[in-house]
Amino acid sequence: MRRLRCLGLMLALSLLLSCCAPKEYSAQTFAMDTVMSFTSYGREGERAVSAAAAEAGRLEGLLSVTRPESDIYAVNHAAGAWTQVSQETFDLIGRCLELCRACGGALDITAYPAVRAWGFTTGEYRVPGAEERVDLAARIDYTAVELDREQCRVRLPEGMELDLGAVAKGYAGDVLAGLTVRSGAESAMLYLGGNVHTVGRKPDGSLWRVGVQDPQGEGYLAVVEVENQAAVTSGGYQRFFEAEGETYWHILDPASAAPARSGVLSATVVGDCGLVCDGLSTALFVLGAEEAARLWRTLGEFEYILILEDGSVQITQGLEGRFSLAGSGEGREVQVIRP
Amino acid sequence: MRASTKWAAAALCAAAALSCAALLLRPAGGTTAVVSQNGAVLWEIDLSRVSAPETFRVEGEGGLWNVIEVQPGRIRVESAGCPDQICVRQGWIDSGGTPIVCLPGRLTIQIKGEGDGVDAAAG
Repeated sequence: MRRLRCLGLMLALSLLLSCCAPKEYSAQTFAMDTVMSFTSYGREGERAVSAAAAEAGRLEGLLSVTRPESDIYAVNHAAGAWTQVSQETFDLIGRCLELCRACGGALDITAYPAVRAWGFTTGEYRVPGAEERVDLAARIDYTAVELDREQCRVRLPEGMELDLGAVAKGYAGDVLAGLTVRSGAESAMLYLGGNVHTVGRKPDGSLWRVGVQDPQGEGYLAVVEVENQAAVTSGGYQRFFEAEGETYWHILDPASAAPARSGVLSATVVGDCGLVCDGLSTALFVLGAEEAARLWRTLGEFEYILILEDGSVQITQGLEGRFSLAGSGEGREVQVIRP
Repeated sequence: MRASTKWAAAALCAAAALSCAALLLRPAGGTTAVVSQNGAVLWEIDLSRVSAPETFRVEGEGGLWNVIEVQPGRIRVESAGCPDQICVRQGWIDSGGTPIVCLPGRLTIQIKGEGDGVDAAAG
């Protein structure tokens, strides 16, 4: 009889184990000019992913540079006049300007005319001449953006245009992660067109393993383990064109209005805030290895991985122990940046 | 032991074995490619079971199309009617890193499963 009870217990246990692995829910949506996929686990997972997909659409309506109904479009087409925007857009622009300031203008949210002149907005690529580039660079200046907190208004000098492309997906990650938590899901992986945003840990209690794309090949070259954090990569391989033997990519140096060439092939930033990770990954790509390390030492609160032109890899100290080379990265030299 | 107890024990044994098996034999999820259009799954292809190269065509909105090619263990967009050709240029994928995305065609190809030990790829 005791044996029978024992068996019964075993049965109950194994049934419990096989049924209780949290159910996985996924949704995919096209928003913000990219594809997003959300995976949540647990009872509230289904609600969480459908809420995230709807929210992504709302954010696109607010922040898109091409949709006539968006706040950003209104500011860009006000011909130098004050424009009323939503509180959310106002606060976001304010935070973006702070971020631009923090990285000394290596990130600039007013680069839209230049990005358009190179054809990155339409795919009709061209190389602007030297004179045109000087003119374009003169129109990139985040310090010229005026904010009126009292009336929630924004003003830009005529000829300048905002583009939150370098930060909007990161911000969306923050918003969607918050929404996911409020929906009751404890574990989720949000993928926003190359940006990774994690909620909690994996359902089995382990850390999320995020691959870092090899900028020169297929697949990934390293893995970084995260929990409740975002990981965002900026790289010249993501969008580029070739003309007369030269490669031109979409990340422009605000100082020259031309593709940034700093010796960095890709910059991945890991941190708690998706907005900061997104903006800083662009900034580090523009700044190059030395300036990136300086920025990290000054600002803190984020970690990074740089893949350099010579194939070597730099990581900041905080990633030691949760970073490993993998795939095509194996055998590469890794330098750890310390305070 | 009485006969009825024996039967009960046997039944319990069988049930325990079955649920253990269910626990152990859950799909390992090696290299399954998920082809989706507009967020809806079109096909799930087990790439480890592909024995010979094969191509198939997906029709999208506005006359857009993608020709997908599978080979043992890998998948790519072989050609496409989209203006940017980003999906074609990305080439083959064989692991759960960056998915292939054709934004104009609203088509994605993602490799799922934990065979390669990565949950997502930043890039």
